[in-house]
Amino acid sequence: MKKITILFILFLSLVSCIEISDDLTMHNDGSGTLRYKVNLSASKVKVNSVLALDSLDGKKVPSIQDISAKVGEFARILDAQSGISNVLIEENYTDFILKFSCDFTSIMALQSGLANAIEAVSKEKLGSEADEIWITWDGNKLKRSIPAFARAKVKAFKSNELDLLKEGTYTTITRFDRPIDRFENTLGTLSKNKQAVMMKASAFSIKENQDLLENTIYLISAKN
Amino acid sequence: MKKALFYSIVLLSNSFLFGQKSENLIPKDAVTVFSINNINLLQKISMDDLVQYEFMEEVHQELFDGSTSGKTLKDAGIDFDQRLNLFYGKTYQNEISGFTFGVKSREQLFDVFDDFHKLDMNYPGVDFYGTFFNNLIIKENTAILIRIEPTMEYIDQMTDSLWYARGNEMPYELFEDEEVEEEEEILNEQEYTNDQTGEESSYPDATENPNIKNYYELRDSVQAVLQARELDRLMKELFIDQVNLSSQDARFAGQMSHEAIGTFYLDNSRNFEKSQGLWYFQTVLPSLYRDIQELYTGNVILGDLILKENKVEFQVVANYGKELGSIYKEMNDSKFDKHVLKYIPQSSTGYFTYNVNLRQAYEQAYKVIMPVLNDEKNAQISMNVLTIELLNEFVNKDALFGTYKGSMFGTFNGIKKIKTKKIEFFYDEETFEYGEREAEAEEDMPIFTMGFSIDRTDIPEKVMKHLSRLTSKFQNCGDYWIFENAILDAAPMYFINRNGLFILTNDEDLAVNHADGYGSEALSRKECKAAKKSGFMFGHIDIEETLNRFPLGVLNPRQEEILQSLKGKSGQFELNSSSTTSEQTKFNLQYSFEGEETTGKHLLDLINSIYVVTTFN
Repeated sequence: MKKITILFILFLSLVSCIEISDDLTMHNDGSGTLRYKVNLSASKVKVNSVLALDSLDGKKVPSIQDISAKVGEFARILDAQSGISNVLIEENYTDFILKFSCDFTSIMALQSGLANAIEAVSKEKLGSEADEIWITWDGNKLKRSIPAFARAKVKAFKSNELDLLKEGTYTTITRFDRPIDRFENTLGTLSKNKQAVMMKASAFSIKENQDLLENTIYLISAKN
Repeated sequence: MKKALFYSIVLLSNSFLFGQKSENLIPKDAVTVFSINNINLLQKISMDDLVQYEFMEEVHQELFDGSTSGKTLKDAGIDFDQRLNLFYGKTYQNEISGFTFGVKSREQLFDVFDDFHKLDMNYPGVDFYGTFFNNLIIKENTAILIRIEPTMEYIDQMTDSLWYARGNEMPYELFEDEEVEEEEEILNEQEYTNDQTGEESSYPDATENPNIKNYYELRDSVQAVLQARELDRLMKELFIDQVNLSSQDARFAGQMSHEAIGTFYLDNSRNFEKSQGLWYFQTVLPSLYRDIQELYTGNVILGDLILKENKVEFQVVANYGKELGSIYKEMNDSKFDKHVLKYIPQSSTGYFTYNVNLRQAYEQAYKVIMPVLNDEKNAQISMNVLTIELLNEFVNKDALFGTYKGSMFGTFNGIKKIKTKKIEFFYDEETFEYGEREAEAEEDMPIFTMGFSIDRTDIPEKVMKHLSRLTSKFQNCGDYWIFENAILDAAPMYFINRNGLFILTNDEDLAVNHADGYGSEALSRKECKAAKKSGFMFGHIDIEETLNRFPLGVLNPRQEEILQSLKGKSGQFELNSSSTTSEQTKFNLQYSFEGEETTGKHLLDLINSIYVVTTFN
């Protein structure tokens, strides 16, 4: 997984256009579904040319089979975590689109499950990052940010790669069973049924301001 | 007074003629030598810059330790009136590398080479210094800094010989985890063997300490002994027997008499000898090996670096033996295909033309090589000879060489945006439900064109027609053919089969708008004339526009290293060749540079690039 992470970072630094989307559905009982998608299809020439290499920047470039095996391993480990179920992975190595989704019984189960799975596959301790709470939910209020391990990766981009990041986008959607009262981030847009918030930003602006997509969403109380 | 003047002149002449010269310390086993004649140019080069070059890699341990910080070559005690000679060589037994130079001040020299400690070696008038890796040997006012290392093949051969002679078994499985138990048993067997022969007794005697030295420790000892022995042999050769490359190779000695700023020597025939891939021939088919070796005899490349204002010229003569030369002569006896010039746009930042006659080369090679193979008694060779002879009879050579004549051209036209398809995520404005759709995308792609002269245009046409029946990705578009997603499963490749050329390109503009050539946008008359005038090869590169933008991803690590050694520079490279005779072909590489860097720096850049190319093993 460490190699895959390195490769992923290399891809991010080489591809001119990357599209990332996360879609979190929170139910009233605290359970939910996370859908995560990475789309490199706009840079498939570059991705293919990287994959054609033996090594890049002194690091071995894994084959599609290696990547697929690691992705599968990640899914299996995550699926075995307490409170996580229905882990689904969809891999498209023609257009380089990776989709992942899982159900969770609680936000804490999701966060610790993801941290454990990443740690197990990368064989690298996440340290304090593993204990970081990047989503909180109290039944009426949801607060979310970008996890520390992901922030560190974005921060690692070199200055000469920043132009490329400008063309990448990150979309985050949070859905609920009941209407939203208000939310703090001004980048957010409310859906017509008022049960979802969407935010969109360039990968570059996230590097520049890592709290850019941080949002606290207040729901109309269930009693109402 | 007249007498005094006369004696002074005699004395000065004697010291000039018979005094020790740095080039006389180059070992005879050196296969590649760069000799810089007027090193005054390098006085201003900082040592820190110098150690960044690949050709300094072998000796850089001493120079990277801070002792060179802020110093220039001038501060290093080097005599700028003598040549600076870089050398590299490899035989089956050892690999040598280093440089020889004149010494002006030993005190200053050891400020730089401060890790060297004096060693006792019994060669009169020779001072010997060493570090873990390198040796610095000074005689009078000349010095040689050398690294000599026995090759792994030679070390393994000697170690195996000792190891098995002592009754040991295969060593390679000894150290696997699950077989640790067996290691003890095998090592114990050494106690019962003691059959040393005369020469082997000079190597570490594992039987003296049989429970300690395992195979790898024995190998380390063998390596140390071989290294010391090889160094001693070399010292004796250089300082007692006065044997060096100048004394052994008249061509090299001749080259040293040139007044050029730098000279270059590469003995390809010895490169052939060192080729480890030929081990099979050497041992199993020695007579065939000798015959092939004979073909390579006299294959020496000699070059002069001539410095002009903002230009370095590298004049190279590739010398051949008679037999090999006859093949090259036939191969390069080809009329220039002027059609290629109209397919090279004026805006091209790098292009080459290669003009050969493969049919003639094949016929001549058949004439020269087949008698050599026919004399072999080996069954496998006989079968191969029979196969070649039958193919020679049955294959339609007119069709084969009419399709691939050998002449070709290539261009690099920079980076262009090409159209690709992408999958786009979209979200319903009201529900934010996610969807996917196909959309147009643009990606940067290096634009290459490669074209081959062809007489039988019907043959590729036949192939493409059938391919188009197999897949809808292959389509005939009139003046050209297109193969969708041929490159990295994303970009199309175009095929143009016109005007006696079969062209492959990813340049849509060339295929769609210039299938019959660029017309007035093609190379200028002057450039065309230069290409036509050149022998079998012509090349032009705008360094800044081509190398600095060239996608390294498409190269293998070795090619990438070569390109990296040229990166960051500006100017033009132009390569010309003369017509080939059976003895030689002459090449002229001109490096015209711009910018404010010193001439010496450019010279070193060029030397470094040549070094990287020629020391490929």
